[in-house]
Order: sequence, then structure tokens, then C-alpha cells
Amino acid sequence: MKVQSVLKKSIFLVTAFLTFNFGVKAQDYYVYVTAESEDEVALIKFDGKNATVEETIPVGIWPAEIEGPHGINVSPDGKYWYLSLAHGNPYGTLYKYSTESNEVVDTVRLGLFPASLQVSKTTGLLYCVNFDLHGDMVPSTVSVVDPEEMIEIERIETGVMPHGSRISSDGLFHYSVGMMSGELFEISTTKLKVTRKLNLDGIAEEMPAMGGMDHSKMDHSKMGHTMMTESAPMYHSETKPTWAIPHPTNGKVYVAGNGSDEILEVDLEKWEITNRFKTGKAPYNCDVTPDGKYLVATYKGSGETGIWDLKKGKELPRIKNTRNVTHGVTISSDSKFAFISVEGIGGEPGTMDVIDIKNAKKVASVDMGKQAGGIIFWKME
Amino acid sequence: MKKFFIYVFVFILVFNVGILQAQDLNIKVSSETVTMKIGESKQLDAVVLDNAGNKIENREFIFFSRNSRALSVVDTTGLATAIKHGEYDVIVISPGDPQLRSNITVTVEPAPISKIEVQGIPENIYAGIPIPLELKVTDEAGFERPEKVIKLSSSDEDIISVAPFTKLIPKEKGTAKITATVDGVNETIEINVIENPIAEILLTSDMVEGRSGDVFTLTAMALDKAGNQVTDAPINYSFTGESFDVSAAPSGLITEEGKFVADQPGVYVINATSGPAAASITVQANNRNVSRKIDVVGQGSVNNKHTSDLWIWEGEDGKDYAVTGTWGADGTAYFWDVTDPAGIQLVDSVKVDARTVNDVKVSEDGKVAVISREGASNRKNGLVIIDVSNPRDAKIISEFSENLTGGVHNVFIYKNHVYALSAGRKYYSINIEDPKNPKIVGEFELDTPGHSIHDVWVHDGIAYSSNWTDGVQLVDVGNGIAGGTPSNPVQFASYAYPSGSNHAAFPYKDEKTGKFYVILGDEEFPYGLDPSGRKPSRAAGFLHIIDFTDLKNPKEVAWFQVPFAGSHNFWIEDDILYAAFYNGGVRVVDISGELLGDLNRQGREIAWIVPEDPDGYVANAPFTWGAQPHKGHIFYSDWNSGLWSAKLQPIVPDNAKIDNK
Repeated sequence: MKVQSVLKKSIFLVTAFLTFNFGVKAQDYYVYVTAESEDEVALIKFDGKNATVEETIPVGIWPAEIEGPHGINVSPDGKYWYLSLAHGNPYGTLYKYSTESNEVVDTVRLGLFPASLQVSKTTGLLYCVNFDLHGDMVPSTVSVVDPEEMIEIERIETGVMPHGSRISSDGLFHYSVGMMSGELFEISTTKLKVTRKLNLDGIAEEMPAMGGMDHSKMDHSKMGHTMMTESAPMYHSETKPTWAIPHPTNGKVYVAGNGSDEILEVDLEKWEITNRFKTGKAPYNCDVTPDGKYLVATYKGSGETGIWDLKKGKELPRIKNTRNVTHGVTISSDSKFAFISVEGIGGEPGTMDVIDIKNAKKVASVDMGKQAGGIIFWKME
Repeated sequence: MKKFFIYVFVFILVFNVGILQAQDLNIKVSSETVTMKIGESKQLDAVVLDNAGNKIENREFIFFSRNSRALSVVDTTGLATAIKHGEYDVIVISPGDPQLRSNITVTVEPAPISKIEVQGIPENIYAGIPIPLELKVTDEAGFERPEKVIKLSSSDEDIISVAPFTKLIPKEKGTAKITATVDGVNETIEINVIENPIAEILLTSDMVEGRSGDVFTLTAMALDKAGNQVTDAPINYSFTGESFDVSAAPSGLITEEGKFVADQPGVYVINATSGPAAASITVQANNRNVSRKIDVVGQGSVNNKHTSDLWIWEGEDGKDYAVTGTWGADGTAYFWDVTDPAGIQLVDSVKVDARTVNDVKVSEDGKVAVISREGASNRKNGLVIIDVSNPRDAKIISEFSENLTGGVHNVFIYKNHVYALSAGRKYYSINIEDPKNPKIVGEFELDTPGHSIHDVWVHDGIAYSSNWTDGVQLVDVGNGIAGGTPSNPVQFASYAYPSGSNHAAFPYKDEKTGKFYVILGDEEFPYGLDPSGRKPSRAAGFLHIIDFTDLKNPKEVAWFQVPFAGSHNFWIEDDILYAAFYNGGVRVVDISGELLGDLNRQGREIAWIVPEDPDGYVANAPFTWGAQPHKGHIFYSDWNSGLWSAKLQPIVPDNAKIDNK
């Protein structure tokens, strides 16, 4: 009896000790953030209370030219991070870095102004939009790269200024938007072709030119502005979509309508817009928590971050970011924190804000290089 | 409790089996090596098998070639088409969990050799004068095959013998057949050797005494026994020499056209030969003696951010001013009073929404400045037009970003037009007669694959754009040489060189020789980045001197190089080149007269000055951006320390020994 009692007490104590230790062990979160006007990438650690720049990695090869690190992502196995340097001569470059050493492993040249990118866990291939931000208003492409060999194996034409791409959780479909043609594109990651596209401005698709839209039927006076000097007015999407994020489980894709100040919910089965969430000014990037409960969107125009409870379809209280020009968002794998890159203006430093999602509260902030932009969560330790 | 253990056991079993199943799948290609002929298509196949060798259904495959220009592969079907001979890898991926990869090695067989072309045979072949043959081997697929070894033979070795490196040695009068053979394919030409008529060579030089760097123009005339000129006699030039300085080897350059330049002062013997006939003359190259002392006069320090370009001008009030840009900072341009170069004063600044003001220019009348903008927070970069009629109160007149949102790296103002680069792709001509309402009137863009542009400079109605691999483009924007205007730019000449590093260009006409040169500058950074960003950087690249006197046949004739430093922006005035060489500071170079060869080795460098500032943004780290002469002083901007002025001291008498530092 006595032995049993001692044994029970011992088990209780050991259990309590283990539980206590496990419970209080702080989690460290690691995030990579690009500084587009500094040509560097910051590796930032958030320990649950404070965010600190662990390492600053200079990128590019031209000391006297800004090469513009833009899109960034981590391989599914966490061993590598990939970076698009947007400003080239004229083509941009994809860099592969080791997460262990933060040193360059290999590079490959892509198209004009390569931007957001991601590796599909199913194909192992990397898909990177060629944003062609400052080029002519013609359809651009998504580059498909074998990250092992670092060779570009395909370019898939999509819309005008393709941007904001993410891959479905099963790795089978790549979603991106044509910022100026106002379209959502679905690419099969295994068939390497566009499987569906959806005009987000509600315009019927007809002509192959200009991303497949019939401009002759458009009322241009209601659609933004002209850009060319002498030629016919160019179409600028009213919605101006800038990001697409597929939900991990509910069969929806959420699109940031940067021009229409809304998040569009697109049902993948119906392939139509099924809901619209009115947001703050100029939503730019968005991400969904891995548990699927919340969508976090950056409001570039108002320097705020919005959190949406997707079940209720309601926005939590908005969070003012540390600086103006809120840019990117990435969410921790435990769905607790959103990491927000904030560009700043002119000589201001860039900033990464950490937001407690459930409580809709900024809990930490750290300055980094100028024009913080591309951002990706790496790991928890 | 018992149930619990059963559950755990079953779970572990299922989990492990799942893993084992996943790990045991493998991809198998139908053949790991495939051989194809050019033009042939072949289906490549792969299957996924389990550990029992059973085929797994519904697996997809992605095929791709590591060299799609030589072996194209349809990525979703694996249909391969051979384009060029060689050995290539095709990678096969089967997406899924687990994701599987394999390789197929495809050998594309070369096509048989179809022909051998023999070129470079002169009309008259004289005994005793070797002939270098130009041979080209082509296969049936149309590919050149330079790797093939060509066997040459002569039907009569007494008349023509074959020498190494595809040279023929005509020995005596007569006819012989020369046969080139590759893989059983022959090409035979008949060559008629005539008696060498050349009995004498008369060699003269336009001068017998000059200086190092001066070009001696040689004239060699071949005469026959009767004293008649043999106009097609091939002349070979060579030289030997003896340097005045026993520690320096005599060196120089002699061209096949008969131009000689000495690097080292000394006595040189010039030889002209044509077969057995030869002649020589002796010339002397004296010390060029152009070195001058240079002194720092003043500095307008900028040590809290990087400084970019500069422009110096005389203001409407008769005083002298400078504007400098800033780089990777807060979008500021600084205005300076430089009337007293020893007391440079900051008089105003303008801050715009940008991170980099890379370029600054001022109109000919000194009233309007244009600054370029990169890194604007709204990504609409473009340019900013500033009223500088009173530089002490510089005021923004307008901002202009139409078609320039990608960032304007460089600009130039010429006759009420701004020439502005757009996103490194092209340049626009923008009318600023009404500076409040700039208006695009024209544009210039190349149509070459992957074209890009770095700079544009306008002089006398000609825009000189530097286009990296496409080299310099000469475009008429009002000169009239090609009927161009600002709204209708017309390209009429160009020159590109292999390194593809063309970053800047500046035209120069030498009035004495009538030569028209365009000097092209490289920008190269082969030594990589300083990881901290706070240590001195080092550049490479040099200046290429292109003789554009014949616009249709530009020729690279000379170069100026500074060891372990790299060229950036430069200026020419009164036969003197002022070149910023980043970590090498400012180099002042005598470019008078005809230019040929290595200008630095010829002692043409007049002076150099390196801006070192212990209080600089990076301490003691010269990184000079540009230089501009103005009213007897040299002004230069430095990446780490701001604006500087220097004074070149007067020329000292010949043969006087001076220390230029």
C-alpha cells in the first residue's frame, strides 16, 4: 500500500513536472523578411514577447544598384529558402539559399520582375510569378522551376501583372491573380497549364488579348485611368487583385481586391465569387491560419492589418501597424501569430510587426532594412 | 487498459505499414539511356512500382530536359525531340507522396559531315608569303562542327606545303591542289602560286620621334624589280625595342594597318616584311611627361548616407552651384554653392518620396534640374523637376511618373527635353518646355532579346545610350544626321563588346586628327559584396575607346584601365578625360591625338586623386561616382563622403621630375 502510494505520488510529481516544463517552455518563431530597398533579407526571431533580427543577409551582386528582393518562401522540408530578385538587366533572378547557413546555393534567371513564389509539396517544383510590374500591359507568365537542378522548365502565360500566388494545401493547384487584368488563375501543378480562370471584375471573357477580355465592350470611364500616351486606353481592373490564398480545407480561395477594398471569396467548386468582405483601404496580401479559422489581410493604403473570423464572416478590431505601407503577411504554423511586413516611406526603416491573431493585438515589433516586403514563416522551435 | 494497448499496437502497425508502403514505391524509366537522331522524336516513359514490382496506377509524370534548346521534351507527355547533337539529361518527376524522381540520359547522335568550306584565299598567291586558311566544317543538320580535326594535304609539297594551324606555305611558282578532309568528306581547291615580284619594301613613318602614347603611322610600299608598286602585297609589321629605363621592358602595339604606339619611352625598330623582302626603320618614343600635381581643395561632406551623381553649373546669379543625389537613403538631393571650391557650402536640399536619387541633371540655362527617383513608397517612381533659378531655394515644379513607374535610373536634359530611362528597358524623350506639364513625345527601345539600358547622354543632337550587352547606341534626336527628332529618335550607329558591361558613354572629337571617338565605360563588381555593407567595396571594368570616325565600321582601338579598380562615370573636356574609378578615385588622363593601345601604360595618366575620409559613411573607403571639370577645378562625388573639389596644378617643364602625389 505504502509502495503504491509512493509510486502514485512519484508519477503525479513527474507528470506535474513534465507538464509544467512543457507548458512554460517558450516557443521561438523564425521568419524571413525581405528589405526591397536595402537588398537584404532579415531573419527574425520572435520568442513570444520580443522580436529580434537574428541575422541580416545581404543579397544581390551589384553594390551600386538596387536589385529588389521581392518574393520569398521556404521549401516544404525547411532546408532552403528561395528569393526572387526583381530588378534585373532586364530579367530577374531566383536565388536558392540554405536555411542552415543562409548562403547562396544556386541561382536561375527568370522573367521580368519575378515576385511571389512557392514550392509545391506534391511536385517538388517551384512556381514563381513574373510580375512584370513596370512593363507593357500585356499578359505575363508563371515560371516553373526545378529547385533541385535550379533550371526553369516551363513558362505558363496568365494575366497582366501576375502576382500574389499560393499553392493549395494538397500541392496540386497554384492560384495567382492578374493584377491589371483582374483575373484569378488556377494552374495545375502537375499538368503545368492554366486549368481555370475567373474574371474578378465580372466581365465576360472573350478576346484572347489583354488576358482574355473584350475591351471593346468596356466602359473605360468607370475603370480607372489611361496609361499609354497615344495608343488606345489600357484596361485597369477595378478590383485590382493582388493576392490569392487557398483555404486549407473549406474549398475556397480568398483574393485581396486591392482596388475595390475587399476580400473576395471564390468557391472552387462553383468557380465563382460567393462572398465579399469589405476591408480597410487597399488590401494587399493575405494569409489563412493553418487551422482555417482566420484570414489575415494587410491593408496597404491605411497601414493596418485586418483579421477575419471566417466562420462568422466578421472582422476583428483592426490593428494599426507600426508604420505606413503595410505589405506582407505570414502566419505561424500553430495559427497563433501573424507576422506583418511594413515598408515605411523614404528613409524610414522597414518593420516587422507581430500580431496575436486571436486577441487582434500587436504584441511585438522590430525594425529592419528599408521597404520590408516579402515575408515567410520558417519554423517554430 | 487492454483495449488501449490494442489500439496503440494497431495504430503503430498501420502507421509503420503506411510509411513502409510510401518508402517502397519507386520510379522506373523504360530506359535509362536513349539514343536519338537529330530531328527524331521518341516517347520517353516511366512507371511507378511498388516493392513487389506492381505498377501503381494513376500516377502522373512531369518530364523536362536540362537543355531544352538541344533536346525538347513535352513536359506532360514525355515526347522528346532531338534538335542538336550531344548528351542530355531528361528528368522525370512523379508528383505525389512520395514524390519520385529519375533521370534518362539521351544521346543525340551527330549528323554526318556534309561539307568543308575553305575561305581566305587571296586573288594572287605569291611564293614565299604564307596563307592562313579559314576552314568551316558543317554537318548535314546544318550545325558547324569546330571540334572536328581537319587534315590538310598538298598534291605537290614543293610548290605548296602545309604548316600547323591551317597555314599554307607557297614555295615556288606552280599549281598544286590542297585537299581538306574530315570523316571521309573532302574539299579540294586548286591554288596557283605565282613568282614573288616583290624585290624591295620602302618603309616610312610620319614621324621618327614622338612620345610614348603617340601613334606612329607607317607606310610600307612593296616594289618589284622594275620599281613598280605591288599593290596587293601583304605586309607584316613587327617591332623590337630598347627601353630608356633599364627596369622597364620595351612594349607597345603595332597593328596590321601599320600603326605603332610605344608604351615605354625608348628606341624602337619597326620592321615590315613581305615574304623574303624586308625593311626597317628606327623611331624614338620620348617620355610623355604629362604628370601633374593635383591637390584637394574642398569637401562638402555627406557622411550619413551614400552620395550618388553630381552636376555642376553656373547659376543665373553668376555663382557656381552643384547638385548631388543620394543612394539607398531617404530621397534627398543636396544643393551646394561651389563658387569657392575651398569653401563648399550646402545651401538647400529637396526630399522626395524615394530611397534613391541616382541621377541629377541641370538644364543648359541653369534654371531647371531633374532628379531621378527609385524606391517610391507607392511604387510610382519617375522623375522630379525642380526650379533651381535660385538654388538656395530649390522648389519642386512637378513630378512625372507616366510610363516611368519602374524607376528612373538615369536622365539627361537637352534643349527642353528630358531623356529618362524607364525600368532599365528604354528611354523616353519628355518635352519640358512647360516644366509644370511634362509630356512624353518619343521613346527609344531596342528589339533585341533581353535588351536593357543603363544610361543616356545627349550631345549635339545625338543620344548615346549605354545598353549593357547591346553596347552603345547612337541615336539622332535632333542632330539631323539621320533625320531624327526628340519625337522620332533614329538609331544610326552602334558598337558592342563581348563583356556586355557597357554602363556609360561619352563622345569626343579630336580636332587635330579629325578622329571621332566614343568612350564606353564598364561597370563590374566581380569581387562580390561586403556582407556587413560597412566595409570598402572594390570594382572592376575599364574604359573602351571606340573609333567611330567611320560610323558604319566602329573599331575598338584603345583602352584605359586601373588595376584593381573599376570605371564608373566620366567626362571629357579639352582633350582631358576625368574618370571616376570607384575605389580608384578620379583619374585624369591625356587623350590628345590619335588613340591606340593601353593608355595607362603609355604614361597618359596626368594625375589621380582618391577621396579618403575618416569620417565618411564608411570610413576611408573611396568609391568615387563621377567627376566633372568646371572653371579650372575638378568636382567629384564619392559614395561614402559626399562632394569634393580638387585642382590640377600647372604643367611643369619637360623632363622635370615631379611627384604627383
